[in-house]
Amino acid sequence: MIGDDIVDLKLARIQSNWRRKGWLQKIFAESEQEMICNSEDPDGLIWKLWSMKEATYKAHQRRFSIPRKYNPWAFVCSDEQVTINNYSYNTVSKHTDKYAYTISYTDQSNFISKVFTDNSLRYKRVLQNYVADVIGVKESSISIHKDINGIPSIKINKEAVDIPLSFSSHGSFSAFTIDLP
Amino acid sequence: MTKEELLSKLKTIIEPYVQNQEGLKQISEATNFIDDLEINSANLVDIILDVEDEFGIEIDNDGMDKMLTVKASIEVIQDKLATK
Repeated sequence: MIGDDIVDLKLARIQSNWRRKGWLQKIFAESEQEMICNSEDPDGLIWKLWSMKEATYKAHQRRFSIPRKYNPWAFVCSDEQVTINNYSYNTVSKHTDKYAYTISYTDQSNFISKVFTDNSLRYKRVLQNYVADVIGVKESSISIHKDINGIPSIKINKEAVDIPLSFSSHGSFSAFTIDLP
Repeated sequence: MTKEELLSKLKTIIEPYVQNQEGLKQISEATNFIDDLEINSANLVDIILDVEDEFGIEIDNDGMDKMLTVKASIEVIQDKLATK
């Protein structure tokens, strides 16, 4: 099971004022707030933790077909792991001075991911192309859908297939990850 | 406070965070903040804090979980106002 999330750090700084009273407390557990307070780069760490929470939310939501909720507070990060209720997820993050990107996953699966830094919405097309290549079908037979809970899925020749995937886009950046059989 | 008054106050609160102005013109109870108004998910926290300030209420985690649509937000606000 996988999920991903990308944050455009420049845009995040414009959109959100995390120093606002009550902001950190609504999203982060006390242990996380402590990490942020002790960090030399609180701004960067906040968005890295946020992307870990969001990526794990997507993986968890897909795993159990959970209706949408706004509960970032329930996803608690420690090092590379995120825990929700009694479920643990591993994460891998790429953090540059421009973006924070995280993939969250349950087991050592065969996922690949790609980050786009060119402000384009090419990612869906590239993903379709990639799936077509790996599975050996025409690109035009692949379509991408979202269910009622907002969980994306792939259809091949209008037939649903069980291939976990996740998208994210924010500001100038976008990304996908997919776990092909 | 009537539902119409609540909706009008809520609309004023969410306006600065809306990225799809067309969605705002057609706002209704069914409006979803992320899908229809393209509000950034990190800004939902700001909306919750603004709602707390505007109505003098405290929104707990259970209330926060639901605040993804206009309808759910109005219900959470009404609920908190009733127990104030």
